[in-house]
Amino acid sequence: MDLDLIALNVEAEDPKSVIRELGTRMLAKNYVKDTYIDAVLERESKLPTGLDLGEFCVAIPHTNTEHVNISNFAIGILKNPVEFHSMSEPTKTLKIGLVFLLAVKDPASQVGLLGNLMKIFQNVDLMKNIRHATTKQEVDDLLDFIQI
Amino acid sequence: MKRVNILSVCGSGTVTSSMVAGKLKEYLNDKGYHVETVEARPTEAMNLAQSGKFDLLTFTSPLPQGDYGIPVINAFACLTGMGEDEFLEEVTKVIEGLGK
Repeated sequence: MDLDLIALNVEAEDPKSVIRELGTRMLAKNYVKDTYIDAVLERESKLPTGLDLGEFCVAIPHTNTEHVNISNFAIGILKNPVEFHSMSEPTKTLKIGLVFLLAVKDPASQVGLLGNLMKIFQNVDLMKNIRHATTKQEVDDLLDFIQI
Repeated sequence: MKRVNILSVCGSGTVTSSMVAGKLKEYLNDKGYHVETVEARPTEAMNLAQSGKFDLLTFTSPLPQGDYGIPVINAFACLTGMGEDEFLEEVTKVIEGLGK
């Protein structure tokens, strides 16, 4: 994956700052349009994206396709967890230490990417390994089966 | 081949609904079904569900309350993997109940 889209040791107070940090990286590489970050923030406030995987929680902020130029995703490994609201029970908060910011341009043609992302989210051991990775290369190696 | 039409609903009508749709296609194709899916937002769900074009609805965003007129199945398990087998069994049971 694009190593510039991996952020290690992110110091964030809340979901907004994580989304801004990762979204800025996406924008710098032109994967997304300049409307993307605000659109993700807006959506997260209405339709949150925290997923409770039992032993582990992850958040997958994203937004509509029109804000995306090229499909990709950014990973944020947080220094300290922040509270995202749950996708399934929006009133509930989850402590999130790992964030996947998703940019999807054309879901129909990206079944492979979406399927691979699902496999990642369902693999708690892999998620934990990413959470505890200390270098970008380590993250990339863990995810080398993904084709964007 | 038996045809099944599924309405897959999520917050933006793109990302998680497509994940669920992909999973259902893979699973049901193996069982001999031809699956067509349409991805939609919660606000579009009611009209589409009542259009008569769909056999069932799956969702990963909270849905507005109401009578959708077709079986409505929670697909969160499909995202997290927890309870995924039960989800797929429920979908299968609904489809078998359609008499297809």
